[in-house]
Amino acid sequence: MKIAAYGLTKQYGSNRAVNGIDLSVENEVYGLLGPNGSGKTTTVSMLTTLLRPTSGSAEICGYDIQTQQSSVRECMSYVPQDMAVDVRLTGRENVDLFARLYGIRNRNERRRRVDEALEIMNLSDRADDMTKGYSGGMRRRLELAQALVHQPQVLFLDEPTVGLDVAARRSIWEYIVNLRNHGVTIFVTTHQMDEAERYCDRVGILKKGDLVNEGVPSDLTSSMKAVITIRTDIHPPISALPEGIEMVRDENGEIMVAADDGSEALPRMLKLLSELSVKVYSSTVREPTLEDVYLQSVGKTNPDNDTFNQKQFENMMRRR
Amino acid sequence: MYRMFAYVRRDLIRWSRAPMNVLSTLAMPCAWLLFMGLVMPVRWESGNYLDYVTPSILVMTVMTAGLSGGSSLMFDKMLGYLNKFLAVPAPRESILAGKIFFITVRGLIQATIILVISIIIGASILPPEAYLEMYLILFMFGVFFSAFGTTVALYLGNHDSYAAFQAFVSMPLYFASTALVSYDMMPQWLWYIAKVNPLSYAIDAVRLAASGTFPLTEIAILLVLSTAMTAVCARKFRKATLG
Repeated sequence: MKIAAYGLTKQYGSNRAVNGIDLSVENEVYGLLGPNGSGKTTTVSMLTTLLRPTSGSAEICGYDIQTQQSSVRECMSYVPQDMAVDVRLTGRENVDLFARLYGIRNRNERRRRVDEALEIMNLSDRADDMTKGYSGGMRRRLELAQALVHQPQVLFLDEPTVGLDVAARRSIWEYIVNLRNHGVTIFVTTHQMDEAERYCDRVGILKKGDLVNEGVPSDLTSSMKAVITIRTDIHPPISALPEGIEMVRDENGEIMVAADDGSEALPRMLKLLSELSVKVYSSTVREPTLEDVYLQSVGKTNPDNDTFNQKQFENMMRRR
Repeated sequence: MYRMFAYVRRDLIRWSRAPMNVLSTLAMPCAWLLFMGLVMPVRWESGNYLDYVTPSILVMTVMTAGLSGGSSLMFDKMLGYLNKFLAVPAPRESILAGKIFFITVRGLIQATIILVISIIIGASILPPEAYLEMYLILFMFGVFFSAFGTTVALYLGNHDSYAAFQAFVSMPLYFASTALVSYDMMPQWLWYIAKVNPLSYAIDAVRLAASGTFPLTEIAILLVLSTAMTAVCARKFRKATLG
């Protein structure tokens, strides 16, 4: 297993930042999701040997993170959240520095690896320019080139797309997936649910240090119900719904129901409303997303502040 | 060692591409040298006051470089570079060793520029062995002050506080030493301070080397001080980087 954690825990005084998490990651893009303060960066810091665990253990490429730190660092790379490229060095010099730090002493071999890493990240044309002139996306790609120059087996990325525009984010993710296709195991933390759903092979959701949910994004979302919203005229309360459809709310001309298969349930709802002579103005089907899974896993805002039937909605969105 | 020099190389390239930084750190020592050497109407028993004051300017140059370089590691930490360096296989001590070595070498390069200027404006040219001894002394003193500055910067943790600290200590340290006057010309209270001031030992050692005497005692003291301060710095660095 490329990344394995057993009861990994980090405690600061009375605060347990990471609480006994187990991980098992190999040859995939694994996304660790969670709100601010949930323990994502702490988890990554422990796995990358920057932080000592309070208890538990972990192995990267089979090497223990506490007793074989040097071997762990040889086989992995870490790109922190804060972008840090030397603006007074060229792109090539930035990558060359890390090639030296990873112990590539032979000049020709180092030059070849640097050129290769820059080529993979599509930075060869600008490699000899000062990074001061690089865009945010280019700087992030340069950091990936630094991380890849020694051909790691595992890559840790902490919020790799933060601060980038849409096109740059998509570009970075495409590079990440490409690396996975070439056999690199990638462990990513991110807040971007849509990106995690689209690009991660598996995700884990952290809440206050606990791994509360884990799985393939499509499996996680398929266990939740679709939400159908239908705008109608004001009508008497609907007493009975078709089978497999649950009422979430019906007020002020807006009906919200939940069903396992939204596209199948919508025509049945419309048929019912037609039979009840309820005039329909519009309808939408919203299939569950990873964001719904995430919100359900980590909790939402105080229900007392909502006129929306929070309790009902949460019951509806619970896993079967 | 290889990885330590990778860090040194990085810092040297960055420093060389900021000419204003190079010039600004030379401005004060140059001003002192020109003022004390050419303007001050000092009658000196042994003849050339410039020969007397140049060692203190060289030591001041290395001290200034050491103090200003102390914030370098702090900036690496603040800007996120240190986190990346800590995750590479290079021994973590190589980060600190590289930083101290770079700051010291930078100070020696600047001291060389000051030395050349001093010769141009009238200081005596010395035998080669005297210069070798002077550079050995300046190297040990540079290591001491680089480690000292780095320790304080890691402790303070922010640039504003460190800049204030730098301004607070540099001139008092310089004046409370044998930089401008010898021990026998000092008032008693200043004598006691100068006697425990590392600058005095470095300045006295450089003067002795320039006069042809090998400053064994002063070199031994500087060796102990630089070793002890490096150990203190290493301890602080370990605390600051191991979670």
